[in-house]
Amino acid sequence: MPEARRLEALAERMRAVEPVAPSPGAKIRGWNLVLAAVAHSATRRPRISVTRLVLAAAAAGVLLVAGALAASADSLPDSALYPLKGVLEHARGTFAFSPTDQLTYHLELSQTRLAEAEAMIARHRLDLAGRALDGLDNELEDAAQLVQTAKQNDAAAAADMENRLQQAIATHELQLAGLQAQVTNPTALSAISRARDRAAAALQTAEKAGPNGKNGNPSQSPAGGKGNGPATSAHPTPKH
Amino acid sequence: MRALGKAASDDDRPLIERVRRGDQDAARTLYERYFDRIYNYVYARLGRAEDAEDLAIDTMTRSLTRLDLFQDQGVAFSSWVYRIAHNATIDHYRRNGKVKLVPLDNAILPQTADPAELALEQLSNEDLREALGDLTDEQQQVLILRFFQDLTAAQVADIIGKSVGAVQALQHRALGSLERALQGRAAN
Repeated sequence: MPEARRLEALAERMRAVEPVAPSPGAKIRGWNLVLAAVAHSATRRPRISVTRLVLAAAAAGVLLVAGALAASADSLPDSALYPLKGVLEHARGTFAFSPTDQLTYHLELSQTRLAEAEAMIARHRLDLAGRALDGLDNELEDAAQLVQTAKQNDAAAAADMENRLQQAIATHELQLAGLQAQVTNPTALSAISRARDRAAAALQTAEKAGPNGKNGNPSQSPAGGKGNGPATSAHPTPKH
Repeated sequence: MRALGKAASDDDRPLIERVRRGDQDAARTLYERYFDRIYNYVYARLGRAEDAEDLAIDTMTRSLTRLDLFQDQGVAFSSWVYRIAHNATIDHYRRNGKVKLVPLDNAILPQTADPAELALEQLSNEDLREALGDLTDEQQQVLILRFFQDLTAAQVADIIGKSVGAVQALQHRALGSLERALQGRAAN
């Protein structure tokens, strides 16, 4: 059978799969939750007919919330506003739709985590610094996965994304090396060293072809080796 | 045969305006219009009813409470909702890792005498959904939207932010990958 006809038959077979319906309970539960959220959202809107006093109070409240939001944007892990920063970051990520936007999002967050780690080390909060460095590596790994996925679909965009990731990791590497030279605490040294290793590993992940090989060709080995981009060796891990 | 039907993006705009003004009936109409579709989409990706319910509810909540952000997206509301569902699914994968798809009831399909089509007819929905899991994220997305959700290539293009031609090419490659995945599974 010709390929076109085979694939059309496969498409028809997929169309024949009946949609799966949610349980009535789930639908009702969902509506109750959505209704509560919509009602809450509506009550936050200023009303035209409210008195000047209420307007002033609302304005003060908005200023307070806006101030808290603005303050949280620069808050550090030892701040009470820090959880709000995480919520805002997560919300921002939800609306990063294109791979390029998502890469930008993860690279910005990686820089934020690194700055937090530096601040926490300066304040001798090594537990929080360790968490910030873990966060840095998670962002870089997510960014590397995005590059790897892009390689299957759009080689030009993937090359640009990989270049941006390489530049970011090179910058982080310089900052981490500088930080490592400044600290003496073994726990901090170990955390920084681990972060450098994971950043190098993320770069290697990005350099690999996607899971199905370049251009989505599944005939290539999934372990098809590194790409042809510039090789970056992992930094030497300092001995403690 | 499908309850999912076609996207009603043209009808959505007045409802969206009403929801912005706090109209709960309009919110209910949009919820009824999209919840099953989004549930089905997420279920096809995750294969777990509990997770699909949670993510569908989360998607609808975000869609109907963040309409201020929808203004600037320049896409149909339906596309915007699917994009949020897609991002929620990716977030779920990141948090939990990919999960194995659960078995589904087999579809009852008409019999045919053509031996070339016999293999497809014997193929269960479970086989098909598991083989889909072998595809890349983007390939899965296109096949699910095009064939499980019955959307046009133009609608899919709007959702994933690519041209219609790119969607068609991606669809062709995805079907080829799916066929090879099924053949590989049959050989094992």
